[in-house]
Amino acid sequence: MTTDLLMSGQFWTFIILAIVTLVSTYRMVSVSLITHAALFMALSFTAVAGIFLMLQAEFVAAIQVLVYAGAITTMVIFAIMLSGIGDIKSERTAKVKAWKSNPFVMVVGAIFAVFMLYLYSSANLPPEAAGQQFTTVAAIGSELFTTYMIPFEVASILLLIAMVGAIILTAKEAES
Amino acid sequence: MQLPIYYPLGLAALLFGLGLWGALTRTNAVRILMFIEIMLNGVNLNLVTFSRYYWQSTPEMAAKAPILTLFIMTVAAAEASVGLAIILAMVKNRGVIDVDKVNLLKG
Repeated sequence: MTTDLLMSGQFWTFIILAIVTLVSTYRMVSVSLITHAALFMALSFTAVAGIFLMLQAEFVAAIQVLVYAGAITTMVIFAIMLSGIGDIKSERTAKVKAWKSNPFVMVVGAIFAVFMLYLYSSANLPPEAAGQQFTTVAAIGSELFTTYMIPFEVASILLLIAMVGAIILTAKEAES
Repeated sequence: MQLPIYYPLGLAALLFGLGLWGALTRTNAVRILMFIEIMLNGVNLNLVTFSRYYWQSTPEMAAKAPILTLFIMTVAAAEASVGLAIILAMVKNRGVIDVDKVNLLKG
């Protein structure tokens, strides 16, 4: 690591966003109230959107804020509220320390992360490709509607099926 | 870009590991679904990092870079909606949200 890197604002922006992401994700695991976990999830998604902005993927960052931090968080909070307040309170008292008492399960995630970090450290990845070009939303859209036309349509059918399935699973029985 | 590629890749691996840990330790079904979203988010971060460093040499490549990430987000949204609907149906029919207590198929 050079002192040049340590002096750059890019590095420190990344470090701050990474700390926010990791701490809020850790709090998601450790916090006892599930509503707070949902809000920590929104914070983690927003920080990752900031990292996407840093990596010059502006469109992905906007979709991240809209879909993850907006829609999925709202849906999770709706599900928590609809599934009954009794479960929310009972989780606080009963077996809240269960995740601390079993050290084996903590090891699985740690093993995965350490293994990936070990792979990356020994990978000797090439430096970034020369001649950086930056894209626009219009270019991404024209790619989606020409080259990736069929996957795009399949994705829209998938979303339609998911919507119909969610409605059928949660709707009350239709009165005949 | 001054930042070495290892930093965002390491963050993505740690995010995935934390999500895996949470999904394996907690028993509340809604919380498990939240951790699956966190894991998918780590995968997206990995893809965006690689496309930022190696896949932006020409404007055509740069326009194709975020496509897979967008499809992963679509599938994640569909998965979350159906998963939460299944959890709500489970709560309505059986009155439990703990995945340990849903053991009707257990021999």
